Amino acid sequence: MQLFSEGAEAKIYSHQILGKKLLFKVREPKSYRIQNLDQKIRKSRTKREAKIMVKATAAGIMVPKLVAVSKFTICMEMINGKLMKDAKITARTLSKSGSLLAKLHNINIVHGDFTPANIMLCGNDVFAIDFGLSEVTISLEEKAMDLLLMKRAISSAQFSKFLSGYASEAKARLTLLKLKEIEKRGRYKIRTLTTS
Amino acid sequence: MIVIGIESSAHTFGVGIVDNGVILANEKSMYNITTKGMIPGDVANYHMDHVNEVISKALLSANISIDELEGVCYTKGPGIGPCLQVGQLAAKTIAKELGLKITTVNHSIAHIEIAKHFAKQKDPLVLYVSGGNSQILKMRKNKTNKYYVLGETFDIGVGNMLDNFARSAKLNPAWGSTVAKIANEGKYIELPYTVKGMDFAFTGLLTKATSLIGKEKIQDLCFSIQENAFSMICEATERALLMTNSSELCVCGGVAQSSMLKDMLGSVAKEHKAKFGYAPDQYNADNGAMIAFVGERELSKGHDTKLSKCTIDQKFRTDLAVVY
Repeated sequence: MQLFSEGAEAKIYSHQILGKKLLFKVREPKSYRIQNLDQKIRKSRTKREAKIMVKATAAGIMVPKLVAVSKFTICMEMINGKLMKDAKITARTLSKSGSLLAKLHNINIVHGDFTPANIMLCGNDVFAIDFGLSEVTISLEEKAMDLLLMKRAISSAQFSKFLSGYASEAKARLTLLKLKEIEKRGRYKIRTLTTS
Repeated sequence: MIVIGIESSAHTFGVGIVDNGVILANEKSMYNITTKGMIPGDVANYHMDHVNEVISKALLSANISIDELEGVCYTKGPGIGPCLQVGQLAAKTIAKELGLKITTVNHSIAHIEIAKHFAKQKDPLVLYVSGGNSQILKMRKNKTNKYYVLGETFDIGVGNMLDNFARSAKLNPAWGSTVAKIANEGKYIELPYTVKGMDFAFTGLLTKATSLIGKEKIQDLCFSIQENAFSMICEATERALLMTNSSELCVCGGVAQSSMLKDMLGSVAKEHKAKFGYAPDQYNADNGAMIAFVGERELSKGHDTKLSKCTIDQKFRTDLAVVY
């Protein structure tokens, strides 16, 4: 096994088994947290993430396929693609990632960190990855928060293309109304986030 | 250039004097919060009563006379309206009477810049944690000289949250440090933990902890609320550190006085081989020196403000202020 990438949440190792490339996402202990809290967070997030990946795959949504799961480790199939944040962002990929999020929201999966760093482009396909902060909920507020995170991570022109794809969600209109409501709450009125 | 800076955004009336980047004086007088918290009118009156005294003290400790001042600046915001107005009035009076150049300073930027100065850092990832604010920031790369916000609290600042809890538990002010003291004898009980990417929320944690007052031991509650809040901040900061690939991490603001938070952030920074820095406690608490420090830099580069444009702005966002 070799280290494939390192995130704040976990370390990801790659390994080839029977000609298949697999990724192992290992949530390692964080020294800044007390052990009690740390174990609880790592265990519950691993379990929840695995469940959500299975749920999304079952609904035919483009996410990495789960192979196996243990206490702090998730084993999944590797997607050979490029992260949206490192790729050229086109109108097509924006709209496709919008409808990808819509499909997740349709089955009540809230991603929790839906930004170009967690969207993978592979040929003509767009995958959602890293369900580490995901939840299953019907809450419009949580769904709207997904949109807010994305809105802040890309330009406003890009966001409107993204929304054109998102509009396919059954409750897209309600979620967008909720987004407007959230943005009206003082603190967020003027927050803009473009990284350069 | 010798510049006097006046800070009055909350319960501290502070005056600092800076000469060419060197802090000559940092004097302050603090409104006693008692158990009632900050009553805006009362705090403003308190500041009003202490303007002369604190300015005189600052001049004395800088060992200069008022005629030697070459510029003046004050906190424009964010802060409590009536309190900000006192600083504004004092600064404008000095500027007009002595015919000095005047400029306005964003309170959050002042916290950040003074911490960067003491930490000797150039382009760090900044964690700004205080009573009213909790933000993760980094300087934009596009030469607009503004910070952008990577993550922040969805509801209230972490200091406010700890204060709020302590007030409900009838602990003594200053609440944040009282919680820290009591927490030393506690053990962990489960409380909400809310992180969304690089953002976080504190009201769920506050509501749950408050509802457990009287049912759980206060030591355990203090320990757990602090542990959860700081862990949430560290997790978001770690994510931002990796995303921006920063080699420096800097913490500032009132809550940066907490040695527990600094220890935790230090270990986050160490793990990712980033340099970790902060200012001494007296410059993390609200103070006038940080205002003077930023104001002096602005004025010496010729960025003064017309007297008629010297306003206040209670909701002056960190990411809208230009840093010279």
